[in-house]
Formats: sequence, C-alpha cells, structure tokens
Amino acid sequence: MTRARTLFLILVLALTALPARAQQRDSVEALKRLTLDQLLNIEVVSVAGRPARLSETASAIQVITQDDIRASGATSLPEALRLASNLQVAQLDARQWAIGARGFNSTSANKLLVLIDGRTVYTPLFSGVFWDVQDVLLSDVDRIEVISGPGATLWGANAVNGVINVITKDAKNTGGLLVTGGGCSELRGLGSARYGGGLGAHAKYRIYGKAFSRDPTLLPNGQDATDAWHMGQGGFRLDWDASASNRLGLQGDWYDGRIAQPSPGHIAVSGGNVMAKWAHPISAKSEVTLQAYYDRTHRDIPGTFGEDLDIYDVDLRHHAVLGARHDVVWGVDYRLINDHVTNTAALAFLPPHVARQWFTAFVQDEIPLHGERLHVTVGTKIEHNDYTGFEIQPSGRVNWTFSPSRTLWAAISRAVRTPSRIDREFFVPGQAPYFLAGGPGFRSEKELAYELGYRHQQGALVLAFASFYSRYDDLRSLEQVNPPNPTPIVIGNGQDGESYGGEATASYRITHDWHVRAGYTELRVHIWPNAGSTDTSRGATESQAPDRQLFLQSSSDLPAHLRLDGVFRYLGEIAKQRVPAYAELNARLSWQPVAALDLSIVGQNLLHKQHAEFGTPTARRQIERGVYGMAQWHF
Amino acid sequence: MAFLRAITVLMPTLLVVQSPRASEYQVKAVFLFNFAQFVEWPTVATPDPQLPVIIGILGEDPLGTFLDETVRGERLGLRPFEIRRYRDLTDIKACNILFISRSENERVTDILAALGKRPILTVSDGDDFAKRGGMIEFVTDKNRIRLRINLEAAQAANVTISSKLLRVAEIVRTPRR
Repeated sequence: MTRARTLFLILVLALTALPARAQQRDSVEALKRLTLDQLLNIEVVSVAGRPARLSETASAIQVITQDDIRASGATSLPEALRLASNLQVAQLDARQWAIGARGFNSTSANKLLVLIDGRTVYTPLFSGVFWDVQDVLLSDVDRIEVISGPGATLWGANAVNGVINVITKDAKNTGGLLVTGGGCSELRGLGSARYGGGLGAHAKYRIYGKAFSRDPTLLPNGQDATDAWHMGQGGFRLDWDASASNRLGLQGDWYDGRIAQPSPGHIAVSGGNVMAKWAHPISAKSEVTLQAYYDRTHRDIPGTFGEDLDIYDVDLRHHAVLGARHDVVWGVDYRLINDHVTNTAALAFLPPHVARQWFTAFVQDEIPLHGERLHVTVGTKIEHNDYTGFEIQPSGRVNWTFSPSRTLWAAISRAVRTPSRIDREFFVPGQAPYFLAGGPGFRSEKELAYELGYRHQQGALVLAFASFYSRYDDLRSLEQVNPPNPTPIVIGNGQDGESYGGEATASYRITHDWHVRAGYTELRVHIWPNAGSTDTSRGATESQAPDRQLFLQSSSDLPAHLRLDGVFRYLGEIAKQRVPAYAELNARLSWQPVAALDLSIVGQNLLHKQHAEFGTPTARRQIERGVYGMAQWHF
Repeated sequence: MAFLRAITVLMPTLLVVQSPRASEYQVKAVFLFNFAQFVEWPTVATPDPQLPVIIGILGEDPLGTFLDETVRGERLGLRPFEIRRYRDLTDIKACNILFISRSENERVTDILAALGKRPILTVSDGDDFAKRGGMIEFVTDKNRIRLRINLEAAQAANVTISSKLLRVAEIVRTPRR
C-alpha cells in the first residue's frame, strides 16, 4: 500500500515536473535568440528588488531600443517613433508631425502623454506636442516605451489613448567622446558631439551639443513649400550615486531654431528645461523618488501668434511592498503653468495671459493571486484642475501568466482629457466680431476603454496581440451659437464616439545575425453628434487616421563588418482627408571597420520621388526621397 | 530507497518558479555563452580547432543549471562547449572564459594577478570588477544587466573583444596610482 502511494506520488511529480523542465529549456532557448541589445533590455528578477513595472503591466506596450533607433537611420524623435506600430505617425511638412494612438490623430492630436526622462512635453496650449522642438541626442537614448491605450492612472493627465516615454541613458553609460556628422539631401546637415566623464568615483556627467539643417518639402504643384529650418540644441546630465540610499540626478537642455514660413518673417523657437531628481531607497521594499523641473518655451510665428510658456512641476512618489502581497505605488504631483500669448489679427487666446495649476494624486496596488501567475492591479488617479475641478480616472487590470511563455491580460480604464487653453480661450479672428468665440462651456472629454491582450514567446518567436474597444463621451465639437445661422460658433462637447481594433507585433530571430520584426494595426473610429448638437463634421477634425498600417523591419549583420537594415511601412488611405494609401522603405548600410568608427549611408522614403502622408488636398505637403551619409566616431 | 532518491532529484525542478521575466543568473548564463561569439583568443590558447570552449566558474556557483542548459548541444564552429567548476585557482588549466563568483570578492585582485596575462576572458558581477582589472563586469542597473568592459585588461591578455560587444558596453579603465 505504502509502495503504491509512493509510486503514485512519483508519477504525479514526474508529470508536473517534466513540463517545468521543458519550459525552462524553452526560456533559455528564447534568451539565446536575443540580440545583445535585447538581452540588455531584459528585466531581471534580482533578489533585492522587484523588477521595473512597465513590461509586466497589463497594457499594449512596445519598446524601441537604442539598436532599433540606430538601425532605422532615424534622425529625429518622430522618425524613431515610426518604429512603434501601435502609433499613427504622419509627417506633415519639414518640421510638423501628427502622432497619435488608437486613431484620434490630427495636427493637434491631444490624447497622448509624451514624456522625456519624466518631463511632460505636451503643451497646455492645446494638449498636443510641438514635435519640432522635442529633440534629444538619439545616440544617448536608452529606449522609448510606447503604450497604446489609457495610461492615466499611473502616468498622468492626457494619457487617454497612449503614453510615449523617452528614456535617455544614465550618464554612467555614456563615457567618452562621441562625434557624429553627416548629411546630404533633405537632411541637409547634422552634426553632434557628446562628452561623458566622471566627477569623483560616484558621479558621472555628460554634455552634448547638436545642430541640423533640413530642406523644405514641396507644395502639391511641385514648388518649394518654404518650410526649411535649422536648429541647435545643447544639454547635460549628471548622475550621482551619493550613497547607497541617495541617488541624485540633474539634467537640462537648451535649444534655438529658425523655421521658414510662406508668409513674411521667420518662425523663431527657443526654450530650455532643467530637472532635478532624487531617489531614496528606504529599504529593499520601499523607495521614494522626488523630481522637480522647470521648462520654458518660446515660439513666435509672425502673423499668427506668439507664446511664452513657463512650466513648474514637482512630483513625489513612493513605491512600497506592504505585507506579503501588496505592491503599492502612490504619488502626488503639483504643476503650475504661466502662459503669455501674443495675439494677432488672425487669432487670439483670451485672456492672453493665464496662470493655471493642477494637483494630482494617485494610488495603485498590485496583488499577486494564485501564486505568481495571476496579478490584479487596481488604482485610481484624482486630479484637480482650474477648468473642471476634480476628475477621477480609475483602472483595473489583470495579468495571467498561464504558462511561462504565454500571458493573457485584460483591462478596463476610465480616462479623461481635461480642457486645454484652445478648448476654452481660443477666438478667431483676433478681434470681435468673432467667427469662433471660444468654448466657455467646454468640459472634459471622457473615455471608457476595454482592452484584451495576449503575449506569446516560443523559442525565437515573440508574438503580441492587443485588442480594444473604447467608448468616448463629450468629444469636442463646434456648435452654432444662433442656429440656423452658421456663425458664430463656439467649442462644445457635442460629439460621442467609439473606436475598436487590434494591434499585432511579431519578432523573430532567423539566424544569429538576422533578425526581423513586424507590426500590424487595424482600427476604426466612429464619431457622431449627440442630440441637440449642431456639429456637422462627424469627427473630421478630431480623428484622421488610416484604417490599417503594416510595418516590417529587417536587421542583418553581413561579413566584413557590414550591416544592412531596412524598414518597410504601408499605411492605408486616410479617408477623411482623401490622402491615398502609400508604402515606403527606409534602408541603411553601415560599415564598422574598427570599434570606434561607424560609417553609414541611409536612404529615406526610397520607393517614391515624393509622397504625401497627411492633410487635405490643398494643404498637403509632399515629402521627398532623402539620402544622407553619416560618420560616427567614439573616442 | 530508489523512490526517495528519485523524489529528491525531481524536487528542485519543481521549485523553479516560472516567471514571464528572466532570472538574473539565467540571463547572465546566456551572456557568458554569447561572449564566446564576440571574443577572439590568440591561437596559442586553442591549438586544436576541435578542442572545446571551456567556460569555468570559480568560487560558489550561482548559475546552477542555467549555464549547462544554455550551452547544451551548442558549438562555436567545430568546438563544443564545456563547463568546469573550480574550487581553487590552481585547478584552472585550459580555460577560455572564467566567471568569478561574488564569493571571491575579497580575493579578486589576487586572483587577477595570479592569472596574469593568460588569455582567459575574466567575467564577474563582483563590485568594481572591471576597475580592479577584470575584463567584463555585470552591473545590475534598474533591473537590467549592463556590461562594463576594461579594454586595457583584455588587450594586455591578448583577448580581442568584438566592436559589437564594446558598442553596448561602458568602457572603463583601471585607475592608475
């Protein structure tokens, strides 16, 4: 009897143990297929601390690594963001980009949170991003994390449809002198230099400077669109491990640029920021981080408007493991903006000068259930703003790792886009009588999002799917003040909408030297006026995105220190603007004769002499094929 | 009795906690294996092109079975891989890659001095390993593994490290006194 029971026990053990054994081999095989860069980006579970939370959160995340950026030949942040297939990226002209997630793309796309090293860069003027002044030294970027879908609970305001998180390298990892130079057509010239060194044993710094000049795009009739520009930027970063329990950081950037415009005068942009960070681990289970920054923006568009904006932001967060199960993050944030707009005959922000403040608090708890396999995360953000008072943005997420290589996740989130200056204080023309007379009654736009995703890793193949359905209420609309008179109009909340779709990505290492990635996104956005609204746009101004897009990337190491990279993209038609579907290819061939020197030649938009990506037929700009050479020397 | 032994053999595999992330030493094991492909040793170190690539572990072994799993069935050209565990410095005869455990932290300087200019790629996750004259140091920074490489130490031992590896690493020097 005892013998029979022992036998039974062994049988059970063997049956449960063998798959575990096979799974361990699976994950080793998967790791062996990764490139060095990917291996360096794997989060590891160390005994002391818990892993960073991002890739384990139940959300649709894509990570663009330093290697991806270098391989793509990207020379600006928007170009690098084309590598995330869960974003809709369209180049408007030489300097302007429309970047959105889950549809809702436009020149003033306003439902995305963009962070550079924790500093929010979307403008309170219209809740969108002036992409022409968001620059970094791309070779110092560690990675870019792109999350599509609401991230409001943990990340902050405006993360309605996605978060872009640009993370630069710690100064510890950017030692020595790095000099880059090149150019040719379209990218007329680009030069940069960075030096990294140490101050004593525990402090490292880097300083950098860069400058570039870009060619104009073309008008539909083939003439120069008068949007050539040039820009210079410099900055520094200091990382100081003062003691085991005190890590300090200080960083800053300054920039200055001039952009041509068809009307008289030049667009002048300048600005800068400085940020201090303090990380204080209290114990192995608890850490406090404090961050404060000041950000200044100046923009003068002669004949249109001018703006001087100062932003002050302080953020405190505490991460603690409470008891055996609760992994809690909570934090508070205070933000103050001081915005001066110089109005013109064409348009006005009234009042021209405002000071506004935001108070935010959030808490999130992650609870492992059923061993470590099932994680439930619940949290909420409470925000107070000067326009609409309190706003609550809760979310609930479940992450189920039902086998070592398979994860299923689901989430329900509520997010709001609170008013920005353009929603309430925007008047056209600059003096009465107004055609557009602000939006005195504009409230927040609300979203309720349902997401379901799946990740699978099998040997060298990594697959991820995310699907979503979102319901939007009180979307921005233009309402007639005295219907049926077509003017004047005011900005209101007269539209509702829904969006749904799916995002798929795959990554496969064919051989040790050849790696391919693919991304496909299919999405639909429907917007309609609700009862009583006089808006007739049906969302034409709020969402201009293709129904589908495809992205393919191939990276291969060739003999003789050569490397060949290619990125192909296909974007469907943007029906609301009648922008035709297009396909384009970027390719890069690089040669690294010695470790310190990298020579490359890059072709951008190779398939057509010129193509358009965005805009109504008359406003559209043609983006031309570009070729440039680049040399990089690391002393 | 045989049943009991079978259970004790099976138990450890049951205790491997599966996680969507990788364990620290699983990733380090894969790095150790990868290093072989990014390093060239002088021909004196491998007189016969069919000799195994030997990865040695000195001190208390934190890698468990990860390294053995990683190299199983793998070859570098014609050369298979072999794992050796050393208790003492004097046990090290032919060795291509030597992982020095944190348990040897106190003695690292002496170990490196004793190895001298032997063409062995030295790797460790001990504190300031690269600055103390080791060739490759694993640093865990915000839950990601970083590499620090002391290029001068490698060059002194005639070990050539590929630019592909140097590109992703932080290069450090031994401070001069």
